[in-house]
Amino acid sequence: MIVEARGLGKVFPMAAGPVTALQDASLKVHEGDSIAIQGPSGCGKSTLLHILGCVETPTTGSLLFDGHDVATLGDFQRSRIRLTKIGFVFQRFFLLPMLTAWENVELPQSEAGASKSERRDRTAELLEYVGLGERAGHLPSQLSGGEMQRVAIARALANRPGLVLADEPTGELDEATGEQVADLLDRVNADGTAMVVVTHNPLLAARATRQLEMKSGRLFESGGAS
Amino acid sequence: MRPLWFAWRSLTRQPARAVLGIVGIAAVGALLFDMLLLSRGLVLSFGDLLESVGFDVRITATEALPSSGPPIESVSQVVRTVEALPEIDAAVPIAFGRAAVPGVMSLDLIGSGPTERNVWKVLDGEALPSQEEEGAAPALVVNRNVAELLELAPGDELTLMAIGSEATALPKVVFVVVGVADFYFDTPDARTAAVLLPAYWRAYGETRRDEADMLLLRSSADTGPESAVATIREVYPDLNVFSNEQFLARFQRTEFSYFRQISFALSTVTLFFAFLLVTTLLTVSVNQRFAEIASLRALGFARRRIVADLLWESALMVGTGGLIALPVGGLLASRLDAILKAMPGLPERLHFFVMEPRSALLYVALLTGTGILAALYPVYLAARLPIAATLRKETVS
Amino acid sequence: MRGSKTVLLATAIAIACAGVAHAAGDAPEILVSRQLLEARDLSVGDVVSLSSSRTGESPRPFRIAGVYEPTPDPMRLTHKHWSVRLHLPDMLELTADPDDPLALESVSRINVALADPDEASEFARDLYARVPGLLATPAAAEDATAFVVLERFHFAIAIVTVLGSTAFLLALMVMRADERRETVGILRLVGLTRTRILLTVLVEGLCVAVAGAVFGVLFSIAMEDVFNAFFQWHYDTALVFVHVTPGIAGRCVALAVPLGVLAGLVASWTLLRRDIVALLRR
Repeated sequence: MIVEARGLGKVFPMAAGPVTALQDASLKVHEGDSIAIQGPSGCGKSTLLHILGCVETPTTGSLLFDGHDVATLGDFQRSRIRLTKIGFVFQRFFLLPMLTAWENVELPQSEAGASKSERRDRTAELLEYVGLGERAGHLPSQLSGGEMQRVAIARALANRPGLVLADEPTGELDEATGEQVADLLDRVNADGTAMVVVTHNPLLAARATRQLEMKSGRLFESGGAS
Repeated sequence: MRPLWFAWRSLTRQPARAVLGIVGIAAVGALLFDMLLLSRGLVLSFGDLLESVGFDVRITATEALPSSGPPIESVSQVVRTVEALPEIDAAVPIAFGRAAVPGVMSLDLIGSGPTERNVWKVLDGEALPSQEEEGAAPALVVNRNVAELLELAPGDELTLMAIGSEATALPKVVFVVVGVADFYFDTPDARTAAVLLPAYWRAYGETRRDEADMLLLRSSADTGPESAVATIREVYPDLNVFSNEQFLARFQRTEFSYFRQISFALSTVTLFFAFLLVTTLLTVSVNQRFAEIASLRALGFARRRIVADLLWESALMVGTGGLIALPVGGLLASRLDAILKAMPGLPERLHFFVMEPRSALLYVALLTGTGILAALYPVYLAARLPIAATLRKETVS
Repeated sequence: MRGSKTVLLATAIAIACAGVAHAAGDAPEILVSRQLLEARDLSVGDVVSLSSSRTGESPRPFRIAGVYEPTPDPMRLTHKHWSVRLHLPDMLELTADPDDPLALESVSRINVALADPDEASEFARDLYARVPGLLATPAAAEDATAFVVLERFHFAIAIVTVLGSTAFLLALMVMRADERRETVGILRLVGLTRTRILLTVLVEGLCVAVAGAVFGVLFSIAMEDVFNAFFQWHYDTALVFVHVTPGIAGRCVALAVPLGVLAGLVASWTLLRRDIVALLRR
């Protein structure tokens, strides 16, 4: 098992009063899992994803990553988990605009300490994998939305993570391009990487082998109880 | 893809902004460098000037500057006594006065005891003799301005009449020019001449017999000037005895203090300006890159890496601007020096801006410190950035 | 007696003020400088001894009738302002060389105040022609050069400061323009012309530049007192070091406002000359 979330809760203190984004959410993600979390805007899907990705700390509950309680880890250790064990794919891609596609994919590997030759081989492999081998030298501003998302997926896979977390990966894309990206994510999952996708797109959610629903901060199996 | 490389890419993604920031740093850096040169420039230059004369101890009657206070009386006795001290190698009495070339012009007249080295350097002809020839016209050394204006050459005669505050008319004395010299303390338009002291006293109609305004002393190499000063003070407690270093310290406290103050004030202002410039540019840059920073953090970049990237960015901007500032500052310093040297009454050899390694080191240290301090706030912003909240905000916006 | 009339009487005063009391009744009156009064803990009414000899020989008693503030002289800024004012006959009596029969009739300088100061040079020439050997110099000519030099120096510094500030200003304006890239793109998309947008930038820039310039002038006026207070304390003088005149303030505003407006326009133009699609593309 990669991740085990137990009774996660998240409350955001706001000026107008505290907001409960997440209540008693529990989830287990095993190697190779394909999980989609659906729900309307503001229901807490992204908050859950951020907690699973060690980006956010829960107010209540616990998160175990590879058996370790994340709450006991410092910021540096959580960063290392994100760098080496998790890949993130964002709705808005968040590629670094001053780096080429190649450099964007190479960056996490460099930070993880990979050698130059390892980085070169892995980056070339990943760009080919996502079908952008010939666009390696292009800046994000020179790529389409779909191409940018594919580079982002390649970047997420850079350090061979066991888990990829995708937050509305097709949110900024048209239907056809979204399908291409969804196909790519399926392929990543089929190749052994666990996938948790947050989406309000039912077609995308339907591709996952396990579908969960989020309502008012609570997590349910799709069509059933949590 | 080390922080330095990353910082370079971050800076160059907005070349206009980076160039303007560097230009701003270069401008203030040049000014800062110049102010550091100015802070000790006069003292160093004046010190070099004093050293070049070849004497390291001086005696005057009072604390007043030479020629503006009372003279040293019975100077011959003082010279004999002082020269007999083991701490002293040589003692030369100097008197300062004014003389006129009747109907033509006036000039500064220096009367000096016999010595090989003095407050002038002979360029053409010979130095003053060690003593005057009996019955012959006394020797005279003139500076280039006098030589050019009066078309004088060694061997020519010149009649001078001393100018004093006495009511009685002073005699005209015919001198023979033996040399044309460069006087170390001359202003650019100075007209100066020097004679031996006995001739000087004769020019003043013996009213200043055995007086001098200053004694120039060379201390023994074995003992040094401080020891010489201490010994002479014991022998002559009423006279004002000081080494070159003490003289400089006094000037640094008094006559030069204005330039020290302005140097300090402008250095502070430029450092503050550099701080403001870098911190503003970096802070705005960080504010515009919150999404990137949050995504990097989400990707696994540790806080320390983000901090390192920003510090390198600051270092690149400040370092590049700071390097460019050096030659710019050098050019500016020579221009400012030329402006200030036009101040009336200043020796031509005196400079306000003098390069010394200490100034360069201080410049580097100050600019480095400023660059680091300026990066603190943007680093704080970036390091404390809430990752999830930022990602959420950027997605929604 | 060379230098005796300008000899530093402070030394003599230092010796003479060693607490020797004299009969106050017949003592001539003098004024002492504020700095000397404070330094030597003197008071009005005290009787002090003055001597023209460096060693304090033949001192004469004088009564302190009042205190004066020495006229601030920038050329003597760092000098100690220990001075006294005597009636001329008293001064001559004190400093006269007994062997000089004309000592009581000789002075070192005569200051002349003309009805029309513009005639100073002509007056000096005329006087020299009538009394050869007498050196007459217009007072203004003596002191002007140093201030001209300092003015040039400060002006050169100001130029460099303005250059640095302009670079800073341009950098800020470029960043500001970049922040509004999308907004500008949308406005262009909607149909606003470049000129229309530039005019908006111009008005905005003018307001900011004027506000900044006025703030700068007000700040410098506030700092004027701080600088003067510090330097007057440091040099113990009444000299005014910093004085913001309407002319200086006007020049600063005249320079700052156009610079600010120009920087805004230049930064905005670099944005406006790009095509709309490029502006809107992330």
